[in-house]
Amino acid sequence: MALIEVTGLKKSFGTNEVLKQISFSMNKNEVVAIIGPSGSGKSTLLRSLVNLEQIDGGSVQIDNDFLVKDGVYAKPAEIKEVTSKMGMVFQHFNLFPHLTVKQNLEMAPSLRKTESASEIEKRSKDLLQKVGLSEKANAYPSNLSGGQKQRVAIARALMLNPDILLFDEPTSALDPELTGEVLKVMKDLAEESMTMIVVTHEMGFAREVADRVVFMDGGEIIESNNPSEFFSNPQHDRTKLFLQKNLK
Amino acid sequence: MVEYWNSIIWPMLEGAQMTVLLFFIAIIISIPLGFLLTLAVKSSFKPLSWLAQTYIIVMRGTPLLLQLLLICFGLPMLPIVGEYLVFDRFVAACIGFILNYAAYFAEIFRGGLLAIDKGQYEAAQVLGLSKLQTTTRVILPQMFRVALPAVSNESITLIKDTALLYAVAVPELLHFAQTAVNRDFTIVPYFIAGVIYLIMTLILSLFFKWLERRYKFE
Ligand SMILES: Nc1ncnc2c1ncn2[C@@H]1O[C@H](COP(=O)(O)OP(=O)(O)OP(=O)(O)O)[C@@H](O)[C@H]1O
Ligand SMILES: [Mg+2]
Repeated sequence: MALIEVTGLKKSFGTNEVLKQISFSMNKNEVVAIIGPSGSGKSTLLRSLVNLEQIDGGSVQIDNDFLVKDGVYAKPAEIKEVTSKMGMVFQHFNLFPHLTVKQNLEMAPSLRKTESASEIEKRSKDLLQKVGLSEKANAYPSNLSGGQKQRVAIARALMLNPDILLFDEPTSALDPELTGEVLKVMKDLAEESMTMIVVTHEMGFAREVADRVVFMDGGEIIESNNPSEFFSNPQHDRTKLFLQKNLK
Repeated sequence: MVEYWNSIIWPMLEGAQMTVLLFFIAIIISIPLGFLLTLAVKSSFKPLSWLAQTYIIVMRGTPLLLQLLLICFGLPMLPIVGEYLVFDRFVAACIGFILNYAAYFAEIFRGGLLAIDKGQYEAAQVLGLSKLQTTTRVILPQMFRVALPAVSNESITLIKDTALLYAVAVPELLHFAQTAVNRDFTIVPYFIAGVIYLIMTLILSLFFKWLERRYKFE
């Protein structure tokens, strides 16, 4: 059974139909890259999965639990349970500026009260080491570069041991020379079999790291294929056009 | 000469005590009250929100002096309830300052809330924080930090506004200065009063500068 199962997802902002009957599924340990032109609904799709957007119809099932079933949302407690299986990394990091790096990582787990303080501390230490920022534990976000901030954001999301990690253009706000360090961390995660959905403009990353590339345009999934097929042999005209423009 | 100085300085310092006392009472109560007003304005219960907004408009849109006069002299003149609304002048003045400044602080805090990026709420939600946790752990600390310079300004204004006590005949700093001026035909007490106000506002701005540095998050 798929880890994420989306069927007939519909979402409008007013009269603007942003997602039109999206159906999509992915398995555990899969890495899916979502690409597509601006305004095609990529972010909205991702945000719908973690309940940052309310959808108007369709179903979203995570790990066999319904977030939404035929347009009807689960109860608040179930929603919390379902969405807690996913972590999200935002384009603009959204670190908490009034907390140090370490505090950013530890706040959410310590509020959950499922682990002891020392366990949490140990894991935050390990994760900071993993993203290469051990020496920044006590720094405030304002003193970090964009690439460092995004790596902290990834570590913060990982602190909750999510089954799935969602990335919404994690490198789009970064100076070009800083994207590499973030993509490297994501690549490491992929190699550790983390299940990930990555909305990205980084075609290189999609090609190298993703198991599957999904192309969206105008609120629809136009095409979905493994990277080598997708890039060498796109099926649809819109995909071809998009790739022409975006692959130099 | 020394004797003369003593005869004007001591009463003025005593008056300054009144000023400082009013300042602390007003600030300690009006800041939390202002914050509650902000919450009321933000409330999804519309009547409460409208009431709070109206209150803020009225308090900010009319002179503090008028409000003080109303509380000290106007309320006791009301038919029937008036006799229960006779407060000690100082207490009445405190009430006036608190009610007025709460409205200003409410606006400042509202501004602080507006300055917080919606990504902060989203990050908190995705991390599984409850509404309450999001408010207390993420939003409020940032709101207070953003509001700090404006709170500092407002507090300095408050120190200077305490001079309005003069108009409702509470014996504060300015009152004693004026008494000395009238009695001795010299303007020196004015300058002394000015220096005392200046010292108080300087201390206050140094304190807020320190707070701002302390919570710079850098
Ligand atoms: N909160 C909102 N209110 C109204 N319209 C919105 C809102 N969020 C997104 N939209 C609209 O929905 C459409 C899809 O937006 P979305 O952000 O999902 O696109 P995207 O594929 O992520 O684009 P980009 O590559 O620019 O990030 C756009 O037309 C956008 O204007
Ligand atoms: Mg987007």
